[in-house]
Amino acid sequence: MSDDHIVKSYDEELHIINDAIVQMGSLTESLLEDSMNAITKMDKDSVSKIVESDKKINKFRASIDEQIMTLLVKRSPVAIDLRLAISTLKISQDLERIGDLAKGNAKKILPLPEDDLPPEMLNSMRRLGEAVQKQIKLSLDSYLERSTEKAIQVVKDDEQVNDLTKISIKEVLDFLAKDKKNLEFATNLLFVSKNLERAGDHITRIAENVYYLISGDYPKKNK
Amino acid sequence: MNREAKVISKNVDVFYGNKQALFDINLEIFKNEVTALIGPSGCGKSTFLRCINRMNDVIDICKISGEIEIDGFNIYKQGVDVVRLREKVGMVFQKPNPFPKSIYDNIAYGPNIHGIAQNKQELDEIVENSLKKAALWNEVKDRLNEPGTGLSGGQQQRLCIARAISINPEIILMDEPCSALDPIATAKIEELIDSLKSSYTIVIVTHSMAQAARVSQRTGFFHLGKLIEMDETDKIFKNPNNKMTQDYITGRFG
Amino acid sequence: MNKELRRKKRYQAEKRFQVYGIIAISLAIFFVGILVTKIFSDGTSAFSRTMIKTEIKLDADLLGITDINNKDEVENADYYTLIYEEFTKSIPFSNDEEEKQIITLLSPDYEYEAKDFFLKNKDQLGKTVTILLTASDDFDQLHKGNFPRDIPEDRRRLSNFQLQIYDQLVKENKVTKVFNNYLFTKGDSRDPELAGFGGAIIGSFFTILICLIISFPIALMAAVYLEEFAPKNRITELIEININNLAAVPSIVYGLFALGILLNVLELPRSTALVGGIALSLMTLPRIIIPARASLKAVPPSIREGALAVGASKVQAVFHHVVPLAMPGTLSGTIIGLAQALGETAPLLLIGMVAFVVEIPGSPLDPSSSLPVQVYLWSESAERGFVEKTSATIMMLLGFLIVMNSLAVYARQKFEKKWN
Repeated sequence: MSDDHIVKSYDEELHIINDAIVQMGSLTESLLEDSMNAITKMDKDSVSKIVESDKKINKFRASIDEQIMTLLVKRSPVAIDLRLAISTLKISQDLERIGDLAKGNAKKILPLPEDDLPPEMLNSMRRLGEAVQKQIKLSLDSYLERSTEKAIQVVKDDEQVNDLTKISIKEVLDFLAKDKKNLEFATNLLFVSKNLERAGDHITRIAENVYYLISGDYPKKNK
Repeated sequence: MNREAKVISKNVDVFYGNKQALFDINLEIFKNEVTALIGPSGCGKSTFLRCINRMNDVIDICKISGEIEIDGFNIYKQGVDVVRLREKVGMVFQKPNPFPKSIYDNIAYGPNIHGIAQNKQELDEIVENSLKKAALWNEVKDRLNEPGTGLSGGQQQRLCIARAISINPEIILMDEPCSALDPIATAKIEELIDSLKSSYTIVIVTHSMAQAARVSQRTGFFHLGKLIEMDETDKIFKNPNNKMTQDYITGRFG
Repeated sequence: MNKELRRKKRYQAEKRFQVYGIIAISLAIFFVGILVTKIFSDGTSAFSRTMIKTEIKLDADLLGITDINNKDEVENADYYTLIYEEFTKSIPFSNDEEEKQIITLLSPDYEYEAKDFFLKNKDQLGKTVTILLTASDDFDQLHKGNFPRDIPEDRRRLSNFQLQIYDQLVKENKVTKVFNNYLFTKGDSRDPELAGFGGAIIGSFFTILICLIISFPIALMAAVYLEEFAPKNRITELIEININNLAAVPSIVYGLFALGILLNVLELPRSTALVGGIALSLMTLPRIIIPARASLKAVPPSIREGALAVGASKVQAVFHHVVPLAMPGTLSGTIIGLAQALGETAPLLLIGMVAFVVEIPGSPLDPSSSLPVQVYLWSESAERGFVEKTSATIMMLLGFLIVMNSLAVYARQKFEKKWN
């Protein structure tokens, strides 16, 4: 008894899908990082590269969807194979959304003036960005390593992301209250923070799906 | 859910001469449900099925130990009348085997030898009802005197099901009933099984995982004569407890 | 090119094989043709009988009849003298020797033929009528062209005088051939022209009937028992071996059995179809059991299982389902076995069916002959007339065998169609 299917092409198809998700995840991770850098450094030149990356991510989503449809038709998967197919479908969906959010965030700095902006406004947001990046890495690792511990960790740490978001928003609002000069910038920062929180939610869903894939159940929500 | 166990197997071992085919089988079949038995070739699922109506008795070298209770009564007790047992437990085989008689006589044979019908009219009614329940009446009602062997494969199998029903059994055993049929005929039989379960307890042996997932409420997985896992069909096919079960149903061995 | 060469050689080999087959079949057909032609050419003449037309006066005085309604008188009238006088009167002769030669041209049965004629034509008493009388064996064979005429008189069956009469009668159109119904209606006789295999046919019929009645049910039951019910142990094996061996036992041994047990111990009547039938049935038993078993074995187990699953007992499953399906093969085997029994001679010879039986048997308890025995008897006789009759009997036998084998084929087809 091995872990390989008797029909080798089945395993090959699964490997291709797996590789695609891993690549897609990697791209999304980089995209998030690039997006945060663009915002904190006000690097308008990097935005077009970010938009291109997001397009690639979308292509991945379409291709993975197609491959999973084919897998369902051809192989009528059951048990772990079925959970793999369904989870991967959902994960690719979440990754695409994360990519969209990251791209959206980067585009928000385009209309803003080139002047240096008060760096204090970005402190908490920077920390929020780092936390989200840590989350996505952890959740992608949990998928790669098929680790329920890492997946659970992601779910737990989502609360941290939510807290950091609140702090970030508060910080921006405080700043705004003191100095109404950078209203547009501040408003955009609010959106960016919210988007990061939503990205965190998507990442958490990825981790939940990884957990379902491995164990057959969704992790219990102890709130 | 109030579930009544119709058939209970207790520590059943089956030997063909010196070779042991089934090891300590303990399981329950619940009333008015479809229970599927799956497993690779030679795993013993058909052997077990044939124990329930004692068809293994016709094989000289087959020896059975343990108990099989139907409604609490051990059918392997000394002095059990096998003919009456088979009145209660009917069987449908892999290859449709209608008698080389007319359609009418195929159905009427069972009731005749058991003396179920008092007169011709009652017999006619039994034949009509059985064929209706087997979803075959409309197709054959105008040609009841034609030979049963003249029907198509799917129709022949429904005829065999009607024949099994004609003596009013409580349990119907099906040994890979669709493996010789085309997909449309298979679908019709599965539809039939679905409608029959409200009146009968059905046990089906099948090689098709998809079929087991479609028609049954509970599934038992056999391997090399042992019952590896038995559970709700949903559980078995979404997230089985035993790795061997998972490896078999996903096609990693078998 | 090696492949090409090999392929060519293969085709040639197949061609050669085909040619061998055709040669073999042609040779077989050729020899069968010779056999059949010989038999038919010898035998067809037996189906006709030479008769002499003559005019006689139904003289009441010669007959000794005063009142045609007097049954006794008519029964016991002197037909012999009537024909003797009237026939010899119609041909000029010069001495006693010649007179005798004239009358011997008629078959010795002439008085009975005259009686038959008179009983149908009583009202012709006193008148002159034309009557057909069967010619003697020598006359008959001469007319059929089997006697050469150009050999010296003392080596001939017919004298010069008789030949003269023959030529004269032929010139006067008084010699005809009619269909030989005697062949079918009469029993054996010392006179070839009066001999028939009617007795042998009835004898064969009764013998085969007895054989069938005894062997078929026993064989069928034995086959069913051995195939369906017998436990697989040494005793059953022993029975099976013995049955197979019985099929190989020379048939004359069955004759000895019949002689020793049936005739000597049980004191059944000799020479009867009953004893012959019993002896032949022993021989036919294995010949039915073996194909019956094969047919039973050939019934697919799915039929038995289907019956058992519906709650039939073992006996019901076997007799309601398996046996009917095995019928085509069993019947074929039975008919072929009976056809073989029909042609058996040795056992029948030993129980005395070689006796000279004139009367047609009325029941299996009457002494009788049988077709193959009749062939044997007639083939040994000296008279020329029996040669054609022997061949005719062989033709009859072959005819029956063809009919029975055709029946077997027909029965098989009919049953198979029904069940399929």
